[in-house]
Amino acid sequence: MSAATPTSTSAPEISRGQRVANWFTPKIALARIAWLRTILYLFVILDMHAFVRDTRLKGEHPGLYQPLFLARLFELPKPSVANTTTLYVVLIVFCLIGAANRMPRLAGWIVAPAFTWWVLIGMSDGKVDHDHLALVVALWVLPTVAPGTKHGTKGCTFQWRREVSPYADQTRSEAAGWAIRCVQISVIATYFLSAVAKLRGAGWTLGWPGSAILTWAIVRRPHPVGEWLLQYPWMLHTMQWAGIIGEFCSPVILWLKGRWQLLGALFFIGFHVANTAILMIHFLPTVVCWLAFAPLERIVPWFQRRRSVRRQAKGRSDRDAGEPEDQAEDSRQAKEQAGA
Amino acid sequence: MAGVVTKQQERTGDVRLGRIGKGVRVLVALAGIGLLINGSVRASDDAWPFGPMSQYAGMIADDASITYTRITARTDAGTTVDVPLNIEGAGVARAEIEARTGEIVKDPSLLQAVADGWARKHPDKPKYVKLELIRDTTTLVDGRVVGDPVPEVLATWRVRR
Repeated sequence: MSAATPTSTSAPEISRGQRVANWFTPKIALARIAWLRTILYLFVILDMHAFVRDTRLKGEHPGLYQPLFLARLFELPKPSVANTTTLYVVLIVFCLIGAANRMPRLAGWIVAPAFTWWVLIGMSDGKVDHDHLALVVALWVLPTVAPGTKHGTKGCTFQWRREVSPYADQTRSEAAGWAIRCVQISVIATYFLSAVAKLRGAGWTLGWPGSAILTWAIVRRPHPVGEWLLQYPWMLHTMQWAGIIGEFCSPVILWLKGRWQLLGALFFIGFHVANTAILMIHFLPTVVCWLAFAPLERIVPWFQRRRSVRRQAKGRSDRDAGEPEDQAEDSRQAKEQAGA
Repeated sequence: MAGVVTKQQERTGDVRLGRIGKGVRVLVALAGIGLLINGSVRASDDAWPFGPMSQYAGMIADDASITYTRITARTDAGTTVDVPLNIEGAGVARAEIEARTGEIVKDPSLLQAVADGWARKHPDKPKYVKLELIRDTTTLVDGRVVGDPVPEVLATWRVRR
Protein backbone atom coordinates (compact mmCIF):
# COMPACT_ATOMS: atom_id res chain seq x y z
CA MET A 1 0.00 0.00 0.00
CA SER A 2 2.73 2.44 1.01
CA ALA A 3 4.88 1.48 -1.99
CA ALA A 4 2.34 3.13 -4.27
CA THR A 5 3.00 6.53 -2.69
CA PRO A 6 6.67 7.29 -3.25
CA THR A 7 6.21 10.93 -2.26
CA SER A 8 5.64 10.13 1.40
CA THR A 9 9.21 9.49 2.40
CA SER A 10 9.57 11.86 5.36
CA ALA A 11 10.07 10.08 8.69
CA PRO A 12 7.13 11.32 10.80
CA GLU A 13 4.62 10.42 8.08
CA ILE A 14 2.37 7.63 9.34
CA SER A 15 0.97 4.99 7.05
CA ARG A 16 -2.72 4.22 6.71
CA GLY A 17 -2.22 1.00 8.63
CA GLN A 18 -0.68 2.87 11.52
CA ARG A 19 -3.48 5.38 11.44
CA VAL A 20 -6.01 2.54 11.71
CA ALA A 21 -3.98 1.00 14.54
CA ASN A 22 -3.89 4.34 16.32
CA TRP A 23 -7.65 4.68 15.97
CA PHE A 24 -8.05 1.39 17.80
CA THR A 25 -5.60 2.50 20.51
CA PRO A 26 -6.27 6.15 21.40
CA LYS A 27 -4.45 7.53 24.44
CA ILE A 28 -6.91 7.67 27.30
CA ALA A 29 -6.26 8.39 30.98
CA LEU A 30 -6.03 5.33 33.25
CA ALA A 31 -8.52 6.99 35.59
CA ARG A 32 -11.34 6.21 33.15
CA ILE A 33 -10.51 2.51 33.40
CA ALA A 34 -10.53 2.73 37.20
CA TRP A 35 -13.98 4.32 37.21
CA LEU A 36 -15.30 1.75 34.75
CA ARG A 37 -13.91 -1.07 36.90
CA THR A 38 -15.79 0.21 39.91
CA ILE A 39 -19.03 0.87 38.04
CA LEU A 40 -19.09 -2.26 35.90
CA TYR A 41 -18.01 -4.76 38.56
CA LEU A 42 -20.70 -3.39 40.88
CA PHE A 43 -23.14 -3.53 37.96
CA VAL A 44 -22.34 -7.22 37.50
CA ILE A 45 -23.47 -7.85 41.07
CA LEU A 46 -26.69 -5.95 40.37
CA ASP A 47 -27.13 -7.83 37.10
CA MET A 48 -26.81 -11.21 38.86
CA HIS A 49 -29.71 -10.29 41.13
CA ALA A 50 -31.92 -8.22 38.86
CA PHE A 51 -31.44 -9.32 35.25
CA VAL A 52 -29.68 -12.63 34.63
CA ARG A 53 -30.92 -13.90 37.96
CA ASP A 54 -32.14 -17.41 37.24
CA THR A 55 -28.71 -19.03 36.86
CA ARG A 56 -28.76 -20.60 40.33
CA LEU A 57 -32.37 -21.68 39.81
CA LYS A 58 -31.23 -23.46 36.64
CA GLY A 59 -28.66 -25.22 38.80
CA GLU A 60 -31.51 -26.56 40.93
CA HIS A 61 -33.70 -27.56 37.96
CA PRO A 62 -31.47 -28.18 34.95
CA GLY A 63 -34.32 -29.95 33.10
CA LEU A 64 -34.76 -27.24 30.48
CA TYR A 65 -31.02 -26.65 29.99
CA GLN A 66 -30.05 -26.46 26.30
CA PRO A 67 -26.35 -25.54 26.21
CA LEU A 68 -25.41 -22.76 23.78
CA PHE A 69 -22.55 -23.13 21.30
CA LEU A 70 -19.86 -21.72 23.62
CA ALA A 71 -20.91 -24.05 26.44
CA ARG A 72 -20.67 -27.02 24.07
CA LEU A 73 -17.37 -25.83 22.59
CA PHE A 74 -15.71 -25.65 26.00
CA GLU A 75 -17.64 -28.67 27.29
CA LEU A 76 -18.88 -26.70 30.28
CA PRO A 77 -20.58 -28.92 32.84
CA LYS A 78 -24.36 -28.92 33.17
CA PRO A 79 -25.49 -26.39 35.79
CA SER A 80 -25.80 -27.88 39.26
CA VAL A 81 -26.38 -26.46 42.72
CA ALA A 82 -22.67 -26.91 43.47
CA ASN A 83 -21.23 -25.19 40.39
CA THR A 84 -23.75 -22.34 40.18
CA THR A 85 -23.34 -21.59 43.89
CA THR A 86 -19.55 -21.58 43.52
CA LEU A 87 -19.88 -19.31 40.49
CA TYR A 88 -22.09 -16.98 42.50
CA VAL A 89 -19.69 -16.72 45.44
CA VAL A 90 -16.61 -16.31 43.22
CA LEU A 91 -18.32 -13.56 41.22
CA ILE A 92 -19.44 -11.62 44.28
CA VAL A 93 -15.99 -11.79 45.93
CA PHE A 94 -13.93 -10.87 42.88
CA CYS A 95 -16.37 -8.23 41.66
CA LEU A 96 -16.01 -6.49 45.01
CA ILE A 97 -12.20 -6.74 44.87
CA GLY A 98 -12.13 -5.49 41.29
CA ALA A 99 -14.60 -2.71 42.04
CA ALA A 100 -12.23 -1.48 44.75
CA ASN A 101 -9.43 -1.43 42.14
CA ARG A 102 -7.42 -3.88 44.24
CA MET A 103 -5.57 -6.52 42.24
CA PRO A 104 -7.74 -5.36 39.33
CA ARG A 105 -6.15 -7.59 36.71
CA LEU A 106 -6.36 -10.79 38.73
CA ALA A 107 -9.94 -10.00 39.76
CA GLY A 108 -10.78 -9.07 36.19
CA TRP A 109 -9.41 -12.27 34.68
CA ILE A 110 -11.56 -14.25 37.11
CA VAL A 111 -14.74 -12.20 36.69
CA ALA A 112 -14.65 -12.23 32.87
CA PRO A 113 -14.94 -16.00 32.29
CA ALA A 114 -17.07 -16.50 35.41
CA PHE A 115 -19.67 -13.94 34.36
CA THR A 116 -19.63 -15.15 30.76
CA TRP A 117 -20.45 -18.62 32.04
CA TRP A 118 -23.10 -17.19 34.37
CA VAL A 119 -24.85 -15.48 31.46
CA LEU A 120 -24.40 -18.52 29.21
CA ILE A 121 -26.32 -20.63 31.73
CA GLY A 122 -28.92 -17.89 32.20
CA MET A 123 -29.62 -17.83 28.46
CA SER A 124 -29.65 -21.58 27.95
CA ASP A 125 -33.38 -22.19 28.07
CA GLY A 126 -34.28 -21.21 24.54
CA LYS A 127 -34.41 -17.46 25.13
CA VAL A 128 -31.35 -15.30 24.43
CA ASP A 129 -31.24 -11.60 25.27
CA HIS A 130 -29.11 -9.21 23.29
CA ASP A 131 -28.29 -6.59 25.87
CA HIS A 132 -25.14 -8.17 27.33
CA LEU A 133 -22.64 -7.89 24.48
CA ALA A 134 -20.96 -4.65 25.57
CA LEU A 135 -20.85 -5.64 29.24
CA VAL A 136 -19.28 -9.02 28.52
CA VAL A 137 -16.73 -7.46 26.15
CA ALA A 138 -15.93 -4.81 28.77
CA LEU A 139 -15.22 -7.49 31.37
CA TRP A 140 -12.81 -9.24 28.99
CA VAL A 141 -10.87 -6.11 28.01
CA LEU A 142 -10.64 -4.36 31.40
CA PRO A 143 -8.03 -6.76 32.84
CA THR A 144 -5.73 -6.17 29.84
CA VAL A 145 -4.98 -2.71 31.24
CA ALA A 146 -2.23 -2.45 33.84
CA PRO A 147 -3.01 -0.10 36.71
CA GLY A 148 -0.65 2.83 37.27
CA THR A 149 2.17 2.61 39.80
CA LYS A 150 4.67 5.14 41.12
CA HIS A 151 7.10 4.09 38.43
CA GLY A 152 4.71 4.17 35.52
CA THR A 153 2.54 1.20 34.61
CA LYS A 154 4.24 -2.03 35.58
CA GLY A 155 0.90 -3.62 36.26
CA CYS A 156 1.65 -6.18 38.92
CA THR A 157 -1.31 -8.54 38.90
CA PHE A 158 -1.17 -9.47 42.56
CA GLN A 159 -0.66 -6.06 44.07
CA TRP A 160 -3.17 -5.29 46.78
CA ARG A 161 -1.83 -1.83 47.64
CA ARG A 162 -2.68 0.99 45.31
CA GLU A 163 0.40 3.19 44.90
CA VAL A 164 -1.40 6.01 43.17
CA SER A 165 -5.09 6.83 43.43
CA PRO A 166 -6.47 5.00 40.41
CA TYR A 167 -9.41 7.37 40.05
CA ALA A 168 -7.14 10.39 39.70
CA ASP A 169 -4.45 8.81 37.49
CA GLN A 170 -4.17 11.08 34.47
CA THR A 171 -1.47 8.95 32.82
CA ARG A 172 -2.67 8.47 29.28
CA SER A 173 -2.29 4.95 28.00
CA GLU A 174 -2.86 3.29 24.65
CA ALA A 175 -3.72 0.04 26.40
CA ALA A 176 -6.49 1.86 28.26
CA GLY A 177 -7.60 3.43 24.99
CA TRP A 178 -7.87 0.04 23.30
CA ALA A 179 -10.04 -1.33 26.11
CA ILE A 180 -12.28 1.74 25.99
CA ARG A 181 -12.50 1.54 22.19
CA CYS A 182 -13.54 -2.11 22.36
CA VAL A 183 -16.37 -1.28 24.75
CA GLN A 184 -17.45 1.65 22.57
CA ILE A 185 -17.46 -0.52 19.45
CA SER A 186 -19.52 -3.18 21.26
CA VAL A 187 -22.08 -0.61 22.40
CA ILE A 188 -22.45 0.72 18.87
CA ALA A 189 -22.44 -2.79 17.39
CA THR A 190 -25.43 -3.64 19.55
CA TYR A 191 -27.45 -1.01 17.68
CA PHE A 192 -25.97 -1.30 14.22
CA LEU A 193 -26.27 -5.07 14.19
CA SER A 194 -29.88 -4.77 15.39
CA ALA A 195 -30.57 -2.88 12.18
CA VAL A 196 -28.79 -5.61 10.21
CA ALA A 197 -30.91 -8.26 11.96
CA LYS A 198 -34.05 -6.32 10.99
CA LEU A 199 -33.03 -6.36 7.34
CA ARG A 200 -32.29 -10.07 7.59
CA GLY A 201 -35.57 -10.73 9.42
CA ALA A 202 -37.43 -9.16 6.50
CA GLY A 203 -35.57 -11.32 3.97
CA TRP A 204 -32.96 -8.61 3.34
CA THR A 205 -35.59 -6.01 2.47
CA LEU A 206 -36.60 -2.78 4.18
CA GLY A 207 -39.98 -4.22 5.16
CA TRP A 208 -39.48 -4.12 8.91
CA PRO A 209 -40.24 -0.46 9.73
CA GLY A 210 -43.61 -0.66 7.97
CA SER A 211 -44.63 -3.94 9.58
CA ALA A 212 -46.75 -4.44 12.68
CA ILE A 213 -43.87 -5.58 14.88
CA LEU A 214 -44.46 -3.05 17.69
CA THR A 215 -48.18 -3.84 17.69
CA TRP A 216 -47.26 -7.51 18.05
CA ALA A 217 -44.81 -6.71 20.85
CA ILE A 218 -47.33 -4.62 22.78
CA VAL A 219 -50.13 -7.19 22.43
CA ARG A 220 -47.81 -9.76 23.90
CA ARG A 221 -46.54 -7.45 26.64
CA PRO A 222 -49.59 -5.42 27.60
CA HIS A 223 -48.75 -2.19 29.36
CA PRO A 224 -50.76 1.06 29.76
CA VAL A 225 -48.58 3.28 27.55
CA GLY A 226 -48.31 0.59 24.89
CA GLU A 227 -52.02 -0.17 24.89
CA TRP A 228 -52.80 3.48 24.34
CA LEU A 229 -50.38 3.55 21.41
CA LEU A 230 -52.09 0.54 19.82
CA GLN A 231 -54.84 2.88 18.66
CA TYR A 232 -52.36 4.85 16.56
CA PRO A 233 -50.43 2.47 14.29
CA TRP A 234 -48.89 5.42 12.42
CA MET A 235 -47.12 6.47 15.61
CA LEU A 236 -45.72 2.98 16.02
CA HIS A 237 -44.51 3.00 12.41
CA THR A 238 -42.85 6.39 12.96
CA MET A 239 -41.06 4.96 15.98
CA GLN A 240 -39.95 1.94 13.96
CA TRP A 241 -38.50 4.20 11.26
CA ALA A 242 -36.78 6.41 13.83
CA GLY A 243 -35.39 3.32 15.51
CA ILE A 244 -33.97 1.64 12.45
CA ILE A 245 -32.53 4.86 11.00
CA GLY A 246 -30.92 5.67 14.34
CA GLU A 247 -29.49 2.17 14.58
CA PHE A 248 -28.07 2.35 11.07
CA CYS A 249 -26.43 5.72 11.72
CA SER A 250 -25.10 4.71 15.16
CA PRO A 251 -21.49 4.06 14.01
CA VAL A 252 -21.16 7.80 13.31
CA ILE A 253 -21.02 8.30 17.09
CA LEU A 254 -17.60 6.63 17.19
CA TRP A 255 -16.19 9.55 15.20
CA LEU A 256 -18.16 12.38 16.80
CA LYS A 257 -16.52 14.54 19.42
CA GLY A 258 -17.57 16.42 22.54
CA ARG A 259 -21.06 17.82 22.54
CA TRP A 260 -22.10 16.06 19.34
CA GLN A 261 -21.11 12.71 20.76
CA LEU A 262 -23.05 13.50 23.91
CA LEU A 263 -26.08 14.31 21.74
CA GLY A 264 -25.73 10.95 19.98
CA ALA A 265 -25.51 9.17 23.32
CA LEU A 266 -28.57 11.02 24.60
CA PHE A 267 -30.52 10.00 21.49
CA PHE A 268 -29.94 6.34 22.25
CA ILE A 269 -30.58 6.72 25.95
CA GLY A 270 -33.89 8.37 24.98
CA PHE A 271 -34.49 5.39 22.69
CA HIS A 272 -34.11 3.09 25.70
CA VAL A 273 -36.41 5.24 27.82
CA ALA A 274 -39.05 4.93 25.08
CA ASN A 275 -38.50 1.17 24.84
CA THR A 276 -38.85 0.86 28.58
CA ALA A 277 -42.10 2.83 28.54
CA ILE A 278 -43.61 0.92 25.61
CA LEU A 279 -42.22 -2.58 25.97
CA MET A 280 -40.67 -2.70 29.45
CA ILE A 281 -37.32 -3.57 27.89
CA HIS A 282 -34.62 -1.54 29.59
CA PHE A 283 -31.31 -2.75 28.10
CA LEU A 284 -29.47 -1.45 31.18
CA PRO A 285 -26.42 -3.72 30.67
CA THR A 286 -25.82 -1.87 27.39
CA VAL A 287 -26.80 1.53 28.75
CA VAL A 288 -24.23 1.37 31.56
CA CYS A 289 -21.50 0.73 28.98
CA TRP A 290 -22.23 4.10 27.34
CA LEU A 291 -20.06 5.40 30.20
CA ALA A 292 -17.05 4.26 28.15
CA PHE A 293 -17.70 7.38 26.06
CA ALA A 294 -17.80 9.67 29.10
CA PRO A 295 -14.65 11.53 30.22
CA LEU A 296 -14.80 9.95 33.68
CA GLU A 297 -11.12 10.80 34.23
CA ARG A 298 -12.16 14.42 34.71
CA ILE A 299 -14.24 13.68 37.80
CA VAL A 300 -11.41 13.86 40.34
CA PRO A 301 -9.72 17.01 38.94
CA TRP A 302 -13.11 18.69 38.72
CA PHE A 303 -13.88 17.75 42.31
CA GLN A 304 -10.44 18.89 43.50
CA ARG A 305 -10.82 22.21 41.74
CA ARG A 306 -14.19 22.76 43.34
CA ARG A 307 -12.89 21.80 46.75
CA SER A 308 -9.84 24.00 46.49
CA VAL A 309 -11.95 26.97 45.44
CA ARG A 310 -14.29 26.37 48.34
CA ARG A 311 -11.42 25.90 50.81
CA GLN A 312 -9.76 29.01 49.57
CA ALA A 313 -12.93 30.97 50.14
CA LYS A 314 -13.38 29.33 53.51
CA GLY A 315 -9.74 29.84 54.44
CA ARG A 316 -10.05 33.52 53.69
CA SER A 317 -13.14 33.94 55.85
CA ASP A 318 -11.63 31.76 58.61
CA ARG A 319 -8.47 33.81 58.70
CA ASP A 320 -10.61 36.90 59.00
CA ALA A 321 -12.21 35.22 62.03
CA GLY A 322 -8.79 34.39 63.53
CA GLU A 323 -8.61 30.64 62.65
CA PRO A 324 -5.25 28.82 62.65
CA GLU A 325 -3.04 29.01 59.60
CA ASP A 326 -2.92 25.30 58.65
CA GLN A 327 -6.24 25.40 56.82
CA ALA A 328 -4.88 27.93 54.40
CA GLU A 329 -1.92 25.61 53.89
CA ASP A 330 -4.35 22.77 53.12
CA SER A 331 -6.11 24.73 50.47
CA ARG A 332 -2.83 25.76 48.87
CA GLN A 333 -1.85 22.08 48.64
CA ALA A 334 -5.20 21.09 47.17
CA LYS A 335 -4.86 23.80 44.58
CA GLU A 336 -1.42 22.63 43.58
CA GLN A 337 -2.73 19.06 43.18
CA ALA A 338 -5.62 20.18 41.10
CA GLY A 339 -3.27 22.04 38.83
CA ALA A 340 -1.03 18.98 38.43
CA MET B 1 -1.84 -11.28 25.81
CA ALA B 2 -0.77 -8.55 28.22
CA GLY B 3 2.48 -10.38 28.79
CA VAL B 4 3.86 -9.66 25.34
CA VAL B 5 3.22 -5.94 25.64
CA THR B 6 6.34 -3.87 25.86
CA LYS B 7 5.79 -0.35 27.06
CA GLN B 8 7.93 2.71 27.00
CA GLN B 9 7.51 5.99 28.75
CA GLU B 10 7.17 9.04 26.58
CA ARG B 11 8.35 12.45 27.63
CA THR B 12 4.75 13.48 28.24
CA GLY B 13 4.22 10.54 30.58
CA ASP B 14 1.95 8.78 28.08
CA VAL B 15 2.21 5.02 28.16
CA ARG B 16 2.45 3.67 24.66
CA LEU B 17 2.07 0.12 23.44
CA GLY B 18 4.87 -1.79 21.80
CA ARG B 19 4.52 -2.98 18.22
CA ILE B 20 3.45 -6.46 19.21
CA GLY B 21 1.07 -5.29 21.92
CA LYS B 22 -0.58 -2.90 19.54
CA GLY B 23 -0.67 -5.35 16.66
CA VAL B 24 -2.23 -8.11 18.74
CA ARG B 25 -4.85 -5.74 20.12
CA VAL B 26 -5.82 -4.46 16.68
CA LEU B 27 -6.08 -8.02 15.38
CA VAL B 28 -8.23 -9.08 18.33
CA ALA B 29 -10.55 -6.12 17.76
CA LEU B 30 -10.83 -6.87 14.03
CA ALA B 31 -11.45 -10.56 14.72
CA GLY B 32 -14.20 -9.63 17.17
CA ILE B 33 -15.83 -7.34 14.62
CA GLY B 34 -15.57 -10.13 12.04
CA LEU B 35 -17.23 -12.63 14.38
CA LEU B 36 -20.04 -10.17 15.13
CA ILE B 37 -20.72 -9.50 11.45
CA ASN B 38 -20.62 -13.22 10.68
CA GLY B 39 -23.08 -13.82 13.53
CA SER B 40 -25.49 -11.16 12.33
CA VAL B 41 -25.42 -12.30 8.73
CA ARG B 42 -25.51 -16.09 9.14
CA ALA B 43 -25.65 -17.36 12.72
CA SER B 44 -28.49 -17.89 15.18
CA ASP B 45 -28.95 -17.12 18.87
CA ASP B 46 -26.93 -20.24 19.58
CA ALA B 47 -23.75 -18.27 18.79
CA TRP B 48 -24.19 -15.90 21.76
CA PRO B 49 -22.51 -13.46 22.32
CA PHE B 50 -21.70 -13.38 18.61
CA GLY B 51 -25.21 -14.17 17.42
CA PRO B 52 -27.60 -11.83 15.59
CA MET B 53 -29.33 -9.02 17.51
CA SER B 54 -32.67 -10.47 16.52
CA GLN B 55 -34.91 -9.30 19.36
CA TYR B 56 -37.98 -7.75 17.71
CA ALA B 57 -36.31 -8.02 14.33
CA GLY B 58 -39.08 -10.13 12.80
CA MET B 59 -41.67 -9.04 10.24
CA ILE B 60 -45.31 -9.04 11.32
CA ALA B 61 -47.86 -8.72 8.53
CA ASP B 62 -50.80 -6.31 8.77
CA ASP B 63 -53.22 -9.23 8.99
CA ALA B 64 -51.18 -11.36 11.36
CA SER B 65 -52.62 -13.43 14.19
CA ILE B 66 -50.79 -12.66 17.40
CA THR B 67 -50.75 -15.44 19.95
CA TYR B 68 -50.09 -15.14 23.62
CA THR B 69 -49.83 -18.14 25.90
CA ARG B 70 -50.85 -18.05 29.53
CA ILE B 71 -51.88 -20.40 32.30
CA THR B 72 -54.89 -19.91 34.54
CA ALA B 73 -55.45 -21.75 37.78
CA ARG B 74 -58.43 -22.69 39.92
CA THR B 75 -57.30 -22.50 43.55
CA ASP B 76 -58.40 -24.39 46.62
CA ALA B 77 -59.92 -21.10 47.80
CA GLY B 78 -62.35 -21.32 44.90
CA THR B 79 -60.86 -18.43 42.92
CA THR B 80 -59.55 -18.40 39.35
CA VAL B 81 -56.22 -16.63 38.87
CA ASP B 82 -53.62 -15.98 36.17
CA VAL B 83 -50.45 -17.89 37.01
CA PRO B 84 -47.52 -15.46 37.22
CA LEU B 85 -45.10 -16.96 34.71
CA ASN B 86 -41.81 -15.65 36.04
CA ILE B 87 -39.14 -16.69 38.46
CA GLU B 88 -40.77 -15.21 41.55
CA GLY B 89 -44.21 -16.53 40.63
CA ALA B 90 -44.31 -20.16 39.59
CA GLY B 91 -40.55 -20.39 39.00
CA VAL B 92 -40.93 -20.80 35.25
CA ALA B 93 -40.78 -18.11 32.56
CA ARG B 94 -43.43 -17.55 29.91
CA ALA B 95 -40.81 -18.03 27.19
CA GLU B 96 -40.12 -21.53 28.51
CA ILE B 97 -43.84 -22.40 28.52
CA GLU B 98 -44.22 -21.03 24.97
CA ALA B 99 -41.20 -22.99 23.80
CA ARG B 100 -42.69 -26.23 25.18
CA THR B 101 -46.39 -25.71 24.31
CA GLY B 102 -46.38 -28.69 21.96
CA GLU B 103 -44.98 -31.02 24.60
CA ILE B 104 -47.44 -29.80 27.21
CA VAL B 105 -50.40 -30.37 24.88
CA LYS B 106 -49.21 -33.95 24.35
CA ASP B 107 -48.49 -34.51 28.03
CA PRO B 108 -50.43 -32.08 30.29
CA SER B 109 -48.79 -33.63 33.37
CA LEU B 110 -45.84 -31.32 32.65
CA LEU B 111 -48.05 -28.59 34.17
CA GLN B 112 -47.66 -30.29 37.54
CA ALA B 113 -44.24 -28.59 37.80
CA VAL B 114 -45.97 -25.20 37.61
CA ALA B 115 -48.27 -26.03 40.52
CA ASP B 116 -45.37 -27.49 42.50
CA GLY B 117 -43.25 -24.40 41.80
CA TRP B 118 -46.02 -22.11 43.00
CA ALA B 119 -46.67 -24.17 46.15
CA ARG B 120 -42.97 -24.27 47.00
CA LYS B 121 -42.47 -20.55 46.57
CA HIS B 122 -45.75 -19.44 48.14
CA PRO B 123 -46.58 -21.96 50.89
CA ASP B 124 -48.98 -19.54 52.58
CA LYS B 125 -51.06 -18.77 49.45
CA PRO B 126 -54.01 -20.81 48.10
CA LYS B 127 -52.87 -23.93 46.23
CA TYR B 128 -53.64 -24.58 42.59
CA VAL B 129 -56.08 -27.44 42.05
CA LYS B 130 -56.64 -27.21 38.29
CA LEU B 131 -54.48 -25.60 35.59
CA GLU B 132 -55.42 -24.58 32.07
CA LEU B 133 -52.94 -23.72 29.35
CA ILE B 134 -54.64 -21.06 27.24
CA ARG B 135 -53.66 -19.46 23.97
CA ASP B 136 -55.12 -16.01 23.24
CA THR B 137 -55.25 -15.08 19.59
CA THR B 138 -55.54 -11.45 18.52
CA THR B 139 -56.10 -10.90 14.82
CA LEU B 140 -54.90 -7.73 13.12
CA VAL B 141 -56.93 -5.99 10.43
CA ASP B 142 -54.89 -3.47 8.40
CA GLY B 143 -52.30 -3.45 11.17
CA ARG B 144 -54.85 -2.58 13.83
CA VAL B 145 -56.04 -4.58 16.79
CA VAL B 146 -59.74 -5.26 16.23
CA GLY B 147 -61.79 -6.85 18.99
CA ASP B 148 -60.79 -8.84 22.02
CA PRO B 149 -58.40 -11.78 21.92
CA VAL B 150 -59.99 -15.19 21.37
CA PRO B 151 -58.97 -17.68 24.07
CA GLU B 152 -58.47 -21.37 23.33
CA VAL B 153 -57.80 -23.98 26.02
CA LEU B 154 -54.89 -26.13 24.86
CA ALA B 155 -54.44 -28.37 27.87
CA THR B 156 -56.04 -29.00 31.26
CA TRP B 157 -54.40 -30.59 34.26
CA ARG B 158 -55.91 -31.59 37.59
CA VAL B 159 -53.16 -31.01 40.11
CA ARG B 160 -51.93 -34.03 42.07
CA ARG B 161 -51.49 -33.51 45.78
